[in-house]
Amino acid sequence: MKLATRAWQAGLFLFFVAVPAFAHHSFAMYDHSRTITLKGSVTKFQWTNPHAYIELDVMEKGAVKHYSLECTSINMMQRAGWRSNILKFGDQVKAVVSPLNSGQPGGLLLELTLPNGKVMEPGVPAANTFTRTPEK
Amino acid sequence: MTCVILVLVPLSALAQRGTGPSSPDFSGSWERFRGGPGQSREFIPPQAPQPPLKPQFLKEWQAKNQAAREADAKGTPLATNATLCLPEGMPAMMGATFPIEFLQSKGQVTVIEEAFTQVRRILLDQPQKAVDDVEPGFYGRSVGHWEGDVLLVDTIGVKENVRYQNVPHSADMKIRERIHLVSPDILWDEITIEDPATLEKPWAYTVAYRRMPGYQLLEYICEDNREFADENGLQKIRIGPTEK
Repeated sequence: MKLATRAWQAGLFLFFVAVPAFAHHSFAMYDHSRTITLKGSVTKFQWTNPHAYIELDVMEKGAVKHYSLECTSINMMQRAGWRSNILKFGDQVKAVVSPLNSGQPGGLLLELTLPNGKVMEPGVPAANTFTRTPEK
Repeated sequence: MTCVILVLVPLSALAQRGTGPSSPDFSGSWERFRGGPGQSREFIPPQAPQPPLKPQFLKEWQAKNQAAREADAKGTPLATNATLCLPEGMPAMMGATFPIEFLQSKGQVTVIEEAFTQVRRILLDQPQKAVDDVEPGFYGRSVGHWEGDVLLVDTIGVKENVRYQNVPHSADMKIRERIHLVSPDILWDEITIEDPATLEKPWAYTVAYRRMPGYQLLEYICEDNREFADENGLQKIRIGPTEK
């Protein structure tokens, strides 16, 4: 049953993503079946194309673990209301992330809660094909 | 008299300022138009057909697409030109993944695509060269002329590794376009790709754009591409702390 669900999700994912993937970066290296929620401190907001990145230090089991979060192009992000100065070093944020399939500490940012509580989305294409895992 | 006025009014609405005596005005920013809730279906072009590739090229194209789909399903996507941050070139840039801008000046229509800051020059009323006299590039050499309200464009000289939807083509590929307004704010680009070496017959499809009043194209430079192709041709990403 679980396998069938995963297969259906994969089919849905391919249906929505296959054509745009020709034109721009593929997001297939991220796990579409679950998300992780990270609360941490911003160490850098890399405002560059082709994609922006948020570098985040997260306290896990008493130690700092570093995550790199891929966003989308800064053009799409500007059209969605982002600015380069929206984040600064030390900002405490909450990030909903599709983790890397490789297991490396990184992921695709789907949603970010700023220190002022505002929720921002970077405009990931076909974001609805990423299954959200409830926050623990 | 009444009949004449009825005909002239819609034409004058379409033929705004242009560079020719009656050429319509495409100037400004446009976004890809695919319809949507509340949008008239009238101006949505028919769905593009599959490329009518000759059997041997079709087989190769389908196999590559299948390999890409399987790699995606495994979560290990294959690297593409996009992984390397290369611009799309012709005709892919006319797909307007990001907004495009038309500039009309004397003797030239210029098309800019926001992604990768792609620039394409359409030289008006100039003869096309022989393909051997055009150095192959991402955009090729485009010449155009107005026929009434339609901008007819002929492009040759696109590099063989510059591909739209991974479709193979020869150095002799010719792209013909009919660019025209179908309403004051909807523009169509009817694209026909001719390449007897790889195609059974010309491949024709249409893309539509909607005006973006007031939108100014943004800068786009591949300043720091953290995605790369590994030794197996797979797309990978550089992670880890960067300089603070």
